[in-house]
Amino acid sequence: MERSVTPAGWQRLRRELFASRTDGLITLVLLGALLALGGGFLRWALFQAEWAVVRVNSTLFAVGRYPLDQQWRLWLLTALLAAATGLTWGLLRGRSWPRNDQLATVLLAGLALAAPLFLQLSLAIQARWWGITALLLGLRWGAGRWGDRLPQGWRRWLPLQWPLLYLLGMVLISGGLGLMAVRPSDWGGLLLTLVQSSFAILLCFPLGVALALGRRSELPLLRWGSVLYIEFIRGAPLITLLFLGQNILGFVLPGGLAPDRVWRAAWVLTFFAAAYVAEAVRSGLAAVPRGQMEAARALGLPVPQALIHVVLPQALRVALPATVGQFITLLQDTTLLSLIGLLDLLGVARTVMANPAFLGKNAEVYLLLAVLFWCCCAALGLGSRALETRLNPNTLSAARA
Amino acid sequence: MTNPSSSASGAVMIEARGVEKWYPNGFQALRGVDLTVRQGEVVVVMGPSGSGKSTFIRTFNALEDFQKGSIVVDGITLSNDVRNIDAVRREVGMVFQQFNLFPHLTVLENLTLAPVLVRKRPKAEVERQARQLLERVGIHEQADKYPGQLSGGQQQRVAIARSLSMEPRILLFDEPTSALDPEMVQEVLAVMQELAREGMTMVVVTHEVRFARQVAHRVVLMADGQVVEEAPPDQFFTNPQHERSKQFLSQIA
Amino acid sequence: MAAAGTTPVVTPWWRDRRWIPWIVQGGVALAVLVVVAFLLGNLVRNLTAAGLLLSWRWLGNPAGFDISETVLPYDASLPYWRALLAGLANTLRVVVTGLVGATLLGTLVGTASFSSNGLLRRLARVYVEVIRNIPLLLQLVFWYFVVFLALPNGRDALQLPGLVLARSGLYLGWFTDPLHLSWAGPHLEGGVWHAPLRLTVEFGALLTGLVVYTGAFIAEVVRGGVASVPQGQWEAARSLGFMPLQTLRRIVLPQALRVIVPGLNSQYISLAKNSSLAVACGYSDLYSVAETTLNQSGRAVEVMLILLGAYLVLDLLISALMNGLNGLVQLRER
Repeated sequence: MERSVTPAGWQRLRRELFASRTDGLITLVLLGALLALGGGFLRWALFQAEWAVVRVNSTLFAVGRYPLDQQWRLWLLTALLAAATGLTWGLLRGRSWPRNDQLATVLLAGLALAAPLFLQLSLAIQARWWGITALLLGLRWGAGRWGDRLPQGWRRWLPLQWPLLYLLGMVLISGGLGLMAVRPSDWGGLLLTLVQSSFAILLCFPLGVALALGRRSELPLLRWGSVLYIEFIRGAPLITLLFLGQNILGFVLPGGLAPDRVWRAAWVLTFFAAAYVAEAVRSGLAAVPRGQMEAARALGLPVPQALIHVVLPQALRVALPATVGQFITLLQDTTLLSLIGLLDLLGVARTVMANPAFLGKNAEVYLLLAVLFWCCCAALGLGSRALETRLNPNTLSAARA
Repeated sequence: MTNPSSSASGAVMIEARGVEKWYPNGFQALRGVDLTVRQGEVVVVMGPSGSGKSTFIRTFNALEDFQKGSIVVDGITLSNDVRNIDAVRREVGMVFQQFNLFPHLTVLENLTLAPVLVRKRPKAEVERQARQLLERVGIHEQADKYPGQLSGGQQQRVAIARSLSMEPRILLFDEPTSALDPEMVQEVLAVMQELAREGMTMVVVTHEVRFARQVAHRVVLMADGQVVEEAPPDQFFTNPQHERSKQFLSQIA
Repeated sequence: MAAAGTTPVVTPWWRDRRWIPWIVQGGVALAVLVVVAFLLGNLVRNLTAAGLLLSWRWLGNPAGFDISETVLPYDASLPYWRALLAGLANTLRVVVTGLVGATLLGTLVGTASFSSNGLLRRLARVYVEVIRNIPLLLQLVFWYFVVFLALPNGRDALQLPGLVLARSGLYLGWFTDPLHLSWAGPHLEGGVWHAPLRLTVEFGALLTGLVVYTGAFIAEVVRGGVASVPQGQWEAARSLGFMPLQTLRRIVLPQALRVIVPGLNSQYISLAKNSSLAVACGYSDLYSVAETTLNQSGRAVEVMLILLGAYLVLDLLISALMNGLNGLVQLRER
């Protein structure tokens, strides 16, 4: 935060922090506490903490027990994701570089430079990270600069890259198409967390929309069915449902047919999140005036098409913040997988800390995880706000005008 | 502006006989209403609020259902057959009091959505016709704007153009100017007048007396779910027959 | 197209708009029924094969496992249902104290975001933004393993007036005899602390984690509620001579409650459900006892039903309470 040391700046500072005697006291107490805590924390982080636990286990944290000779597939996937992100980011922003973007660029570059050095990764791996970050930022800049030269037809198909990339990613991760198969039980760490959350996020959304439509339906069976499902899920803690999935699934399927534990958990997360997304979408649907449906029907549009082209686009725009909030919660809920024995990020962390060589290094590991999660969730939140502005015709056209 | 000559020999577009409607709470909104509308006619329906006039015209495109009586629109009987209902809706256009434009689509997209999806026409041809329609209502330079950027009068003109995009044979207007600021009412009425002059069959629910006098072939007064009086505008406004008509006219004069 | 006129035409049922909704519902119901029948059939067949058909008599068998802390008397020889009851009591203990603590913290932080002190406002904002983006489970294990388990013991324990925080537990001063109002604080005897009220570090860690986490969300609810009160109320109060704090307490907060109470409902239910993560802190709540019960008895379906039923009832109780509160708090309008 810039602080101009002009008279106006000082006055503002005084007004904000020392307006009254109680305020001044509060400010002094808070500043003292902040300095003490912050100083103590920095001292610990820089001098006392032993970061070897993170360094040595960085691969475990990243991909769990994924076979070493197959990890090139994950590097390829990361590079492709970085390219797609850079492209989309650049096309969204165009030539402008708002402050958020500048901050993000600096952070990314700094992270790419500092983190591998700090973690004492091998030069080969460091080079890969620098390459990937350079790819991301380079494409961001290039797409921003030359993006408008792209023919309109191409731009419309560009969002299709994400589903394609997702499918390609699943093949790269699990195998098939000539690649060696890697069992889900070997996936772990950040890889598993991202696979689980992305799977659940993608599938819970259409399910949630269907439930929301059912909830508002006039047909009693559909409505009560949706209500039952939503209220049942919302009344149950996630851990009990995960537990249910792990234990009961073996009983409800014909003998012998039990999907891998990883997929069982992924489906439970999907069904769980769908109920909450349904509630968010429901409030979005309620915000669309009745006249919209009437106008669409009066024009001769059948109900499904009226829903898809008129009602849902408007409803989803309203429901977007709450829905993305649910996605963020879903990402955080993947940590519960560690309680049923899966090696997500938290599960790997606990395995690492159980290693006698790293006993007592809890704080370092948890700090790393906290920072990772915070960055991912905060990024999702920022992305959602940017998407919101973009989708709102008023602000978008105001930006164009 | 004198009324266009009434074509009493035109084909029957709407034939409503003995229409009765009850709401689920038991309230009877329509108590046996009859109406015949011929091709090229402009019928203005007036009445106090709660008289059932909006409900009545909304039965013509099945936005409201009815329990007794019969309605035949352009030769199609309105029944519980969804095929009939869809056929009727393709032939009948509607303009709403609240415009009901699709805010997430541009003006042009508002006009092209239905013809492309329902009549399955190629997009380029539909866009060309849409631009022509926008010119007809005087808004062709706003084609790529969003409804939220237009004034109320402009939005209602777009709504009229949108209802014309499906090439309907009948247009229904449900209090089209009631939600507009006074200075924008005239631009919308002018468009409606032009449509009438071109021979469109129109049923208009409105309070605009001047419009009725200038454009309508017939004025229908409804009250308490029934038709009270039906007459050409000159006769209706200067020499109303029914007590209720006199009461109503004295309230709006 | 039907001919114009008066001949009544019979609409085929598949096009009749009165029948279509029922056809759709019938189809959906049939599909759901088929799937459910299939799954249930498998369930019954597999359970019978394993000799685990639905019964409740096993609840009377001795449990055979210990529970780390209970308010109800319990030992390993008592039946399963006593164990589950002890777990339930533990859950209720942490939920009730958690609700109180989170509400207090959330209200403080929520109102702090309207303080005149810029630093306080920003700190409140930072607290909420940081806590909301870190998973609860991660916060719980942090509090347990990094903070509470690292507390020193004996004489080196953290000593505050009336409260001692040590590795062996949290010791609170309390009234030993309510009638005579005699109060005793924690005291050290032979290297071991004693006090009228002793809580385990497991309970302390779980409670702290839940309070800090839910407090952030409640702070947002409170902030939203206070923000929903029109600016004019503040201005009118100031022109009448009220100080900001008084305005908040007497004028703004009562109105804000109308928006806050419904929001609190969902946060309270969320806290009640989140208490099931106690297993990560080593606290024997209902879920953790149920998990052990399932592992020992193999009775998956029954244990699941008990678990889901218990949490459902807890949620309904909280909702009922909050709805009652909602009724009190809504404005009586003309």
